[in-house]
Amino acid sequence: MEQNAAKKGMPNLRFTFVKSPVWGKTAEQLRKDVVEGTDPITGKPVMQEIVAELTTPLQDEDKNSRTIQQSAGPDHFGPDTAENLQKLFQEKGMTDYLPIVLPTEEKVDLMLKATSHKPDEIVGKISPTPGVYEYWSYTVKQVAVNAVMAGADPQYFPVILAIAAAGKESLSSSDNSFAEAVVINGPIRDEIGLNYGIGALGPFSHANATIGRAYTLLSINAGNCGKVGETYMGVIGNPANYTNIVIAENEKESPWKSFSVRKGFKPEDSVVSIFEGWGVISAKNSVYAVWQKDMNFAQELKNIFNDQDQLFGGVAVLSPAVANYVKEEGYDTVEKLTDWLYKSPDDSKPHFRSPAQINILVTGSSNNLYWDYGGMRYVKSVSVDKWR
Amino acid sequence: MKPRFVTSLIALFCLSFCSSNQVLAKEKKKSDPAVTVEPKLTVLSPLGIPPAIKLLAMAPRPNTLNGKTIYIVDDGFVGGDVLLKEMAAWFTRSMPSVNVVYRRKAGGFPDEDPALWAEIKAKGDAVIMGVGH
Repeated sequence: MEQNAAKKGMPNLRFTFVKSPVWGKTAEQLRKDVVEGTDPITGKPVMQEIVAELTTPLQDEDKNSRTIQQSAGPDHFGPDTAENLQKLFQEKGMTDYLPIVLPTEEKVDLMLKATSHKPDEIVGKISPTPGVYEYWSYTVKQVAVNAVMAGADPQYFPVILAIAAAGKESLSSSDNSFAEAVVINGPIRDEIGLNYGIGALGPFSHANATIGRAYTLLSINAGNCGKVGETYMGVIGNPANYTNIVIAENEKESPWKSFSVRKGFKPEDSVVSIFEGWGVISAKNSVYAVWQKDMNFAQELKNIFNDQDQLFGGVAVLSPAVANYVKEEGYDTVEKLTDWLYKSPDDSKPHFRSPAQINILVTGSSNNLYWDYGGMRYVKSVSVDKWR
Repeated sequence: MKPRFVTSLIALFCLSFCSSNQVLAKEKKKSDPAVTVEPKLTVLSPLGIPPAIKLLAMAPRPNTLNGKTIYIVDDGFVGGDVLLKEMAAWFTRSMPSVNVVYRRKAGGFPDEDPALWAEIKAKGDAVIMGVGH
């Protein structure tokens, strides 16, 4: 709180901290524990402290309105040994606590050769939570440094730049422990060897793994996200934050138009689309997912979605086998499917706010009838081709 | 006796073999600079560009709350209303000369509420804002 207030221009804004959590408590509990309790930081009685903060005169520095330039620090580290530099990057909170590829000038230059954009061009900006925390901006070169650290090949760089241009944090400051997904469509998937077959969402492709990791490192370093206790407060944390949920769609085996085409791009366009939310899990986790002789996947989807929280809506990641099954059930377009999923069987209020809250993606192999679901919403799409 | 002798002999042989290996390794280290001198690297910073901060002059504080109007503003987090209404009740009990006004801010927690800010500027002397949950 204090650091955030300082970044907003009031380094001496007065605070009283109270014992948390506040929600889930009765008025009587809050009166006894909080109002008549003490500030857990200062140990002073809460209300007396508030009264003092409201009436203590300002200091001269509180009346200041000058501008302070901030710096993220030096533009290089070393010379030092590889072991010491690995340790330094970890101690400075610039990694995901896994070993990194050290970003030497030579490696970064190689990465920069994979785009026509100039190294000092500003790609975008990220805030740990827009509207709450300040935005940090970043150049093509700074994105390249993070891409090298993630172990990415230069040929993946336009995809990483497109993700960076979306300006969406992969590590939200929220105590909810949110996750991000990156949906990738178009020819770039085959050009760089993205996996959309067996284990599409797992650690079975260099491209999927390092592109996803670069997104997290970029958020940590270029966007000032993930600083525990300062810009990250996730209560449980989210394992998807390591490499995010990278979903290259299996366009070849899908019965429907790809996600990016449904968003207005051409099939020959390479596109990344960002999703945010809770993450995805196997539909077999739901009591509505049953193995039976005659499957009705569309009804299964509807039952599961209607039991989900409404904040992010619903996303389904179908294997091509399930998607083709759903098509055979009468849904030859995704729009037809999402309209039906959205509508209530009677005239009652639909569960979600609009059909746009329901998103269907297709990836993975066709060796069985499995699919994933989760509460995630679509944020935005960015052209990869623009960053080649 | 015989087996014990054999065991000791093997142990002696191992000790002598190991120590002569260590000597060899040390000599190799001395003569081969590639083994002893680890290369030093210079690497680039991955950090982005933080914005400039424009300091905001804070509003003057009243020297007493007697007869003043304090707004207590709820930003909408679950349970915040219950807590802040208890704070308002504390003022009524403990500082009855203070006029307390409770308000729920419009929009989500990061959203501005210009109408409420204008009302507080016009009618209020101080604000207590509940943030978080």
